[in-house]
Order: sequence, then structure tokens, then C-alpha cells
Amino acid sequence: MSHAMFSEQAAPTAQGLLAPPSAEPPTFPRVPVSGYSDCSQPFQLGERSFSRQYAHIYAVRLAGMRPGLERCARKQWGNDIALRKLSELQAGEKCCVVGTLFKAMQLQPSILQEISEEHNLVPQPPLPKYIQPSDELMLEDELQRIKLEGAIDVQKLVTGTIVAVYGSEQDDGRFLVEDHCFADLPPPLPWNGPSSDRFVLLASGLGLGSVSGEALLSTQLLVDVVTGQLGAEGEQSCAAHITRVILAGNLLSQNTQSRDTINKAKYLTKKTQAASVEAVKMLDEILLQLCTSVPVDVMPGEFDPTNYTLPQQPLHRCMLPLASTYTTLHLVTNPYQANLDGVRFLGTSGQNISDIFKYSSMDDYLEILEWTLRAGHISPTAPDTLGCYPFYKSDPFILTECPHVYFCGNAPHFQSKLLQGKEGQRVLLVTVPDFSATQTACLINLRDLTCQPITFSGFGADSEDRDIEVGH
Amino acid sequence: MADELYLENIDEFVTDQNRVVTYKWLSYTLGVHVNQAKQMLYDYVERKRKENSGAQLHVTYLVAGNLLQNGYVCHKVAVVREDKLEAMKSKLSTLASVHVYSIQKALLKDSSPLYSTDYDIVKSNLQHCSKFSAIHCAAAVPRTPPDAPRAPAQSQRGPDAASVVNGHGPPAARPPPQQQRGIMGMFAAKAAAKPQDTPKETKAEAKEAPGVSATSSKPSIKNSIMNNFFGKAAMNKLKANSVPEQLKEEKEVAKPSVAVAEPESSPNSVAEKPGKKAESARIQQKDKRSKTKRTDRSDDEEERDPENVKKKRKRIKQLQSDSSDEEDIPPSPTREEERAPSPPLVPALKTELEPASTEGSAAGRKRKRKRVLKSKMFIDEEEGCMVTEKVYESESCTDSEDEFPKPKAPAPNKQPVLPAKREPKEERKNLKKGAAPVNRANKQASIMGFFQKK
Repeated sequence: MSHAMFSEQAAPTAQGLLAPPSAEPPTFPRVPVSGYSDCSQPFQLGERSFSRQYAHIYAVRLAGMRPGLERCARKQWGNDIALRKLSELQAGEKCCVVGTLFKAMQLQPSILQEISEEHNLVPQPPLPKYIQPSDELMLEDELQRIKLEGAIDVQKLVTGTIVAVYGSEQDDGRFLVEDHCFADLPPPLPWNGPSSDRFVLLASGLGLGSVSGEALLSTQLLVDVVTGQLGAEGEQSCAAHITRVILAGNLLSQNTQSRDTINKAKYLTKKTQAASVEAVKMLDEILLQLCTSVPVDVMPGEFDPTNYTLPQQPLHRCMLPLASTYTTLHLVTNPYQANLDGVRFLGTSGQNISDIFKYSSMDDYLEILEWTLRAGHISPTAPDTLGCYPFYKSDPFILTECPHVYFCGNAPHFQSKLLQGKEGQRVLLVTVPDFSATQTACLINLRDLTCQPITFSGFGADSEDRDIEVGH
Repeated sequence: MADELYLENIDEFVTDQNRVVTYKWLSYTLGVHVNQAKQMLYDYVERKRKENSGAQLHVTYLVAGNLLQNGYVCHKVAVVREDKLEAMKSKLSTLASVHVYSIQKALLKDSSPLYSTDYDIVKSNLQHCSKFSAIHCAAAVPRTPPDAPRAPAQSQRGPDAASVVNGHGPPAARPPPQQQRGIMGMFAAKAAAKPQDTPKETKAEAKEAPGVSATSSKPSIKNSIMNNFFGKAAMNKLKANSVPEQLKEEKEVAKPSVAVAEPESSPNSVAEKPGKKAESARIQQKDKRSKTKRTDRSDDEEERDPENVKKKRKRIKQLQSDSSDEEDIPPSPTREEERAPSPPLVPALKTELEPASTEGSAAGRKRKRKRVLKSKMFIDEEEGCMVTEKVYESESCTDSEDEFPKPKAPAPNKQPVLPAKREPKEERKNLKKGAAPVNRANKQASIMGFFQKK
């Protein structure tokens, strides 16, 4: 296993710098990117119009995924199964129906309830999970909907998933499910990965602008390792093999989102500036240090100054005057898709996964990440509970090709798994941890699709290292 | 020996100056490769301890290596104090690097001084922050700023946008550079040419003017007025003001700033005219003032400097917005850039800039015309409200006014539509309030001021 790639090569010269100054120290050239192409065009929005209903996105989603699901259904339950629309259902007939799931949840926050005066309700405080045993699943297709029961996990599934169910309609009007299937892994992409070691550093949740000082030194250490300032010669030489850095969202901390100024009186807030201004300045300096040394892709996240709805558009380069003078800075969308050295990367800043976490019984970010891949859709809960642009021509979140690296940012812990598909797909699933909380980033080796966490720490008053908890 | 020089330097830094000397700080200060700096620090520690074992010297080390943690082989990079070095090394299964991170006299409670030392030295060396690093990236080249191609495009846009009456003119992102080009155009050409550019550009953004349809005829009128108004004395004054601006600009450009006009102004500062730089400085200052709060700059300083040089454009703008105003009131060309961040900001700036022009013109010279506080009312189409402004207008007067201590006009009374944008304006309003009563005390306010409503 080449997990220990960094250290193995570096070990012989580890203590080399514990010596008097020697002759001219070596400078290592950064391994250049041999092939990069940004494939995020579907996520780039030009002219935006919000005058459309969101029904269209569900219609195109179903239309787009129906053929794939029908194929899966036939593969699973036989070629001769009856594929029916809900309007064609006959009671008692075993058939397969493809439709969109809708989960009716009592605790789901509803804006209409909140503003309804007759209820006089206090808005519900945000909960970590909104699931309840009384939730119900419904299947909708183009014209009708039907309640589902049976061999289907109501708690686990979320609204917006396209599913094929096999069963029959009962007398009481519900559909009894005997089996169900999802789109499964999309078709594989050919592998053109590099033959020598090349690393990509994935980090998310830098959280600049927060009050915590501990993470600042760790952030500086991260930059120093990547730019080759830190470490002995062996480590620096290994760091020169980092061909790219991807920052997956939440570069700014949630603290920078303070909305107090809206509620406070003018004379109290007149001299204050938004907290995000200082944070963006800090971000600019950090990005400048990185950009002078390595290509960087910057994805926006939940707390970053860009639009709220998915797909989030790239940060504007006017906010980063120092760093944006370098061609190595790439401001990209969220979700982000690109070919790096022949390896297809696809990932988000984590909003899709954390939203599913809230409405599903699944607790593990890696499990949810894998589930979205198997369900064939990056973010099924959009637009129901996660803001999304009202697409109407096509749904860009449908997975049509299987990426080689599929990641989500701002996860609570680092986790990774190499998934093998039936059709020869090889996907590395990575949950990139929140750096401001864990001081951990991920190093992905493109040669063999392995991933290693890299942790940074200083020393504090308590001088106890906090071990990162890594869940399974 | 030259080699030993670094030992003396480190000794001086650590012992005499009581600094926290990190490898990075030493590398930038002595101009050496980071690895050499690390080795220098090690060498110093060894020698110092050999000659004087009781030396008050605390060292922190950087340790990196592999650590098996919860099923993952994690690569750990840690800064540790000397007393914890061995403990950390034993925790790691494979050691990848060990080197000295910093030396300081005092025992550090936590690693924040290390961070601040590194942060400061990097901040002052942002232009070449990877110079002494061990990795060099060939792909990291700064973009060439698209300076030249943009200038003609900008000036063309001016007349096109002039026809936009009430809609949104050029998108918000463009006004600041457009504005800057226009202003630079102003100073690049002579006085005659100057008014031409700016009125067209300011018109592009003008949303407040009720009589916008009449604006197209304004530039021609303004030209002659501008020429009359700016005698030689005024031009000299402007140039004189440009020079201190320039010096200030040098200082500012050196500091990394988040102003919108920054990318343009940095290449500008390299070449071309002082006027241009002065403009950029003001734009930057204005941007900074409205958008950011730089702690190292006082409000007064900000206001005073742009005022003098901006006075000319201010007058043009005023002419345009007041259809029935036959006096020479300079408009506020900075309106465009302000439009993007904060439309309500503009009237306040306008009023503020006006007194500045007076200050410039009144100081050192006895003028027949003087500035009078007048109330102007007009409809702000954008906000959908009526705006009452107290502005200083030039008018002939026999009273001589020697003192003009920072004349400030009270901010207009507007219905707060967007409260968040009010802040800079409010602050200016408060600053102005202090000087306004002083102002009035000096001169006899004309009672006609009450009846000058428009």
C-alpha cells in the first residue's frame, strides 16, 4: 500500500536539516499538470431567470433518469416485467413503476406554516434531523402519486430520488412494494491516470474569519507544506508532487455571516464592516501564497460570498485582487467536475450530503455519499429542501458518467473508500473533513486512487494532541 | 567570516531584540533558502548551548511523519516544543522530517506567536512569497493586465450608455473601471477635454436626475462653463494636489488593498501620469471608505485628500442633476463607482466633495464667488423617494470667507430603504455635523436659503 508514500520517500533525509548550513540547498520543480480540463459547464449558469416553477426540474429529472431505471429494472427482475405508469395501474397486477419519491414529513420546515397567522406558530428551531417514525413515502410520476409501503426503507430514503419499484397496487389504493432499485453506478469512464505519483490536496472548511486561533496556524502549516517551505528535503520533494489543490467550500467561517447589522440601529453599526471583508482579505493572502506555487481550484461553499442556490457560481475574482493575478488560481463552481491528469473528479462542498443527512436516517457521510452515487443523482433533495436553480431543460445533477474521485467537503470526519462497480467502475469516495474543526486535509494519489489524511497541529496551553476521531 | 555572520544576526535577533525567530522569518530577513534558514537555526542552537549550557534559549521543532490512527495511516505535521519532541517522535511510526521551527528567549505557552511572526513577515513579502521556498512552480505566472485594450472600449461605452434613461446602465461590475478610465481620461487630456468624458460617463449612471432628457444638451453647456470656471489658478492647484496624492498613492499601492480598482491601478502606477495615479488613489480611497474600514487611516485624511482633486468633476455632476440650476456646481463623477456598492452613498459624497472644491479654491486666494449652504430637493428615481440635500453652491458674494474648516453638509433625509448601505454615509454625516455649526458661525446665513426649494 502506498499510503505511506510521503513518509517512505522522505524518511532517509528526515533529520537532514538538523545540521549546520550546507551547500546550496536544492529546489524542486513542481510537477506540472499534464492534462487539465474543466468539465463544470453544466453547473455554470449564465442568464438566470427565477420566474419558473420548480415542477419542471422534477419533470426533466424523471424523464432523464427513466430509461436508465427501466434498464436496471429489467436487469434485476427480468426482461418481461410490465413497466407501467401510475395511471395504468391495475389492482393486484405485479408490475414495475418508475417515479420520483416524495417523503411526507411532519417535522419538515414549511415556510407556509411559519408565516401562517392563523396558527400563530413560533418558527421551528433547526433540528439535526427531521425524520420521524410517522413519515410516509409516496411515489409520483408525471401524472399521479401513490402511497408506498412494504419492502422499502422509509426512513432512509429522501424526497426527489428516482426509483423503480416492483410490486402491486392494493385494494386500499396503496402500492405494496416487493422490491425496489435505483439507477446504480453510472457507466464507467476510461482510465487515463498517471503512471507516476501525483497528488491532489483536497481541503475544505478553512473557516477564515472565525474567532478560533488554533486553526490559523494549522492553515499556515498546510500552505507551508504545499508550497515547500516546511519539512526536510525528502518531504519537500514529495510535496513537489502535489500537482493541484482543491478547496471545497466554506473558505469563510459561519461567523462571517452575522446578520446583526440588519437588526441593530444604524448609529450602532455605522462604523462596522461586514465580518466577511477581513476574512476575504485573509483568504486572498492565503490563496496568493498557494497560487505562487501550485494550481488551486476554489469552490464556494455554504458560507461563502456567492449565490445560495445550487449550483453555486464561482467566487468573483474582484474579491481576490492579489491572488487572481495568477493564472494558477481557478475559481470554480459548486459542484465541480474536472479532468485532472486523466482522472475525473466530481465533488461538492457538502451541502447536498448534509441536507440528505437531515432528512434521512443515514448518519454516516460516506454512506450518504455512496448512496447518492448509487441513486444516480448528486443532490436529490434539491429543490425540495435544498435551494436549487429552477432548471427546466435538463437536470445537471444527474450522474451520467462515473467519476474516478467523488468527494464532498465539510464532513465531520475524514473517510475514504474505494468502490468497485459491476461494470468495471472504480471510484474513490472521499469525505473531506472540515479543516477548521479537524485540521485535517486529504492527499489523493492519482496513480492508484489512494487517499491519505494529513493533519496539522501546533501546541496549545493544554499541549495535548487531540486525536481526530475517524468513524467508519 | 561571512558564514559566521548569520550566527551573529540570529544572536542579535533572539537575545537583543527578543524576537521569536522562525525559520521563515529568518529566511526572508536574511534572504536565504528556507532549508538554509532551518540549518542556520540549528547551528546557532548547537553552538550556543555548547558554549553556555545555561543559555536562555527555547526551541520549537517541526515534526512530520506517519501515524496510524483509527485504521487510517495519517500523515501528521506538528509544531512541538522541545520538551515534547521525543514524545512526538515516538508516536510516529515513520519519521518524515524534523527540523527547527523557531528559536526564542521565552518559553511559549502556545503557538500563536509563531503564527503571528510568520503572518507578519509573509504579509510584508507578499510579492515574492515563494522566492525562498524549496518548490518552484513554472506555471505560476501573473496574468498580464489587460490595460490597453480596455481603455478605448470604456470611452466608447460612455456615449452609448448616455441614452439609458431610467434603466440599469452598464452592469455594476463595469462602472468602477469605467469610472477610473474616465477619470484618468480627464487628467490625461487638458481641461477642455476633461469635462467631456466625465459628463458622458456620469450620465450613464445618472438615475437621480429628474430632467434626464435634458442631459444630453448638458455636456456642451458644461464644457464652456468648465473652461470658464477653471482658470489657470485652478489648474495649478489641481496639479499641486495631484503630487501629494501621488506620494500617497505610492504608499497605498505598496499595501495590498481590496479596492475594486486595485488591479488596474497597480499597473497604472508603474507607468503613466501622476494624475492617473492620483485618481486611482482617490478611487481606492473612496472604495476603501465605502466598502472597507482601514484602521490605519483616519476618515478626515480620506475625505480631505480626494476632495481637492475631485472638485472639478463634482461640479459637472451637479450641473447635470439640477436642471434649473444655473450656477456652476460640479457633479460627482465618482457616482458610478458608488452606484455599484451603494446608490444612497452618492448624494452624501456629492455634498462632501462640493465643500472640498471650495476648500481648494478658497484657500490661499480671495475669490469673488463663495460657497453657500443651500437646500436642494430632487427625486431619486432609483430609491423612489425625494431627497433633500444641503449643498454648498458657489455664488457671488462680497463677504470674504477665510476659514473653511472642513465644511460638511448634513446627509440628505432619505427613507432608509437599504439600511445596510447606510453606514458609510452615516459616518460621513456625523463627521460633517461637527463642522457645519462652526461654518455657520462664521458667516451670515442668507435667509433666502429657506426659499430656495426646488
